[in-house]
Amino acid sequence: MNNTQKHTGRSAVAPAVTLPKRKLIHIRKLSAILEMKSTALFSKNFIIGPIFAIGFAFLMDRVYNVITDGAVDMSGMALAMGVLMNICMTGVYVTAACLAEEKEKYTLRTLMTSSVNGLEFCLGSLIPVIVMQAVVNVLCVFASGFSMNPGEWAAYLAVSTACAIIGSVIGMIFGIFAKNQMSAGTITTPALLVLMMIPMFSSMIGAMEKVSSFLFTGVVYDAILKISMGEPPLEAKGIVILLAEILISVVLFLALYRKNGLER
Amino acid sequence: MNQEYISISHLSKKFNKDFVLKDVNAVLPKGEILGFLGPSGAGKTTTIKILTGQLKPTSGEAYVLGIDCTHIDERIYEQIGIVTDVSGVYERMSVYDNLKYFARLLNAPVSGIDPLLKRIGLYEHRKKPAGRLSKGQKQRLILARAVLHRPKVLFLDEPTSGLDPSTALEIHRLLLELKDEGMSIFLTTHNMEEATKLCGRVALLNEGVIVEYGTPEEICLKYNRTKKYRVQLTDGTKHTLMQGDGTVARIADWIEKDQIETLHTCEPTLETVFLEVTGRELQ
Repeated sequence: MNNTQKHTGRSAVAPAVTLPKRKLIHIRKLSAILEMKSTALFSKNFIIGPIFAIGFAFLMDRVYNVITDGAVDMSGMALAMGVLMNICMTGVYVTAACLAEEKEKYTLRTLMTSSVNGLEFCLGSLIPVIVMQAVVNVLCVFASGFSMNPGEWAAYLAVSTACAIIGSVIGMIFGIFAKNQMSAGTITTPALLVLMMIPMFSSMIGAMEKVSSFLFTGVVYDAILKISMGEPPLEAKGIVILLAEILISVVLFLALYRKNGLER
Repeated sequence: MNQEYISISHLSKKFNKDFVLKDVNAVLPKGEILGFLGPSGAGKTTTIKILTGQLKPTSGEAYVLGIDCTHIDERIYEQIGIVTDVSGVYERMSVYDNLKYFARLLNAPVSGIDPLLKRIGLYEHRKKPAGRLSKGQKQRLILARAVLHRPKVLFLDEPTSGLDPSTALEIHRLLLELKDEGMSIFLTTHNMEEATKLCGRVALLNEGVIVEYGTPEEICLKYNRTKKYRVQLTDGTKHTLMQGDGTVARIADWIEKDQIETLHTCEPTLETVFLEVTGRELQ
């Protein structure tokens, strides 16, 4: 027996603390994370995404106005582009970059060893970014000068918020793989191009239209255009695609989280 | 019986085929500082990661506050504090807001923040963004955050590494105060002076194996084989005398003639013990 073993008889160890019952979520911790993350979204690193989306909707409306000499109301198209920009930039990129920043600055490890569980952190990270997207989606309507009746507003908010949820969960998935903010930008760019460009050019190329109809960004883009044409915004296929993509993104995130944690 | 806040028994950890910890045993009683002393790559950080539930051991057992480290969940973190080389701060938030955020997470009273800031000398910087603090100030903020909720056990991974001597002294003073208040501290360091000054017990770790364990005095005396005395006389001459024939009489003679300026025994330091045992230097 060496000189350390004599100190380590297992029988001497009695629990020195009684831990409280484990809870799924502590409201106190969740509200602290929500407050911190909401503040972080207004930092100059991240606020650029939402501002860019509102500016894009405003700018596209003016550009279409000039192109058509004001003869055709293209505000629906301008709104659709603003919403696409918002979901991709705020939903996917900002969510991934926020998580990557926590890793880059070593605050994620500190949080995880400060009594925060994964669910509290994920909800605390996702809720502010989803709320911000919902607010920006509303502001984009005013920026583009698009008008809707209450029923259309309800449909618009439902579809755009469902897409905001999917975009944010996809952002968290990218965040798992991003080591820092720069790599978050690098790895999200190809996905952002696919999610934005395919719906935008879907009316020009038949194959793209088909692909676009299966993308959540394509569904919201089409829904807004249909509202602008006075048609019902969603068919059963669109609803199924949105629900399926919410489910797939959440299951994929959970699977990757279980395998890698938030730090791969 | 003194309560054991940390108990490590036959702990081993293997990455791929290489053991980074081999059959490590140690205990940390309540209100003591246990130092894991070793060079880079000795397995110190791995031990902290296992004890705080961030890594699973390959074999053996480790208990913190009586809880098996392989079953640690977020509840234990309200009872322990951790400072590692990868502890971060929210750089855009002020010093005060950083602590307030963690006070809310750890269910610590917000009213305790200002006294703590005064105690660590950061009160005048409380409104400054944490990103604008110097390295020493940031380290003190990290330490403040780790003790904000008055944890029972504090884990410190090289807390003074890379800091200037005066900041290191400030941190040493704070750690000794915390120990006196009953906090148990698990400290890793490659600084033998720090370990000697702070730790009640130390484990000398080399390539994942504890090569010596005990109080710094016990370890140094164990290796004090060639007992020597270093004497400086009032005329400026220096003498190193081995214990043995005539040494005591010579020293007694100098004392009688009031010729001794300084007189020291020359027992080994932890650094020389480590060198003797492992053939490696600590730094």
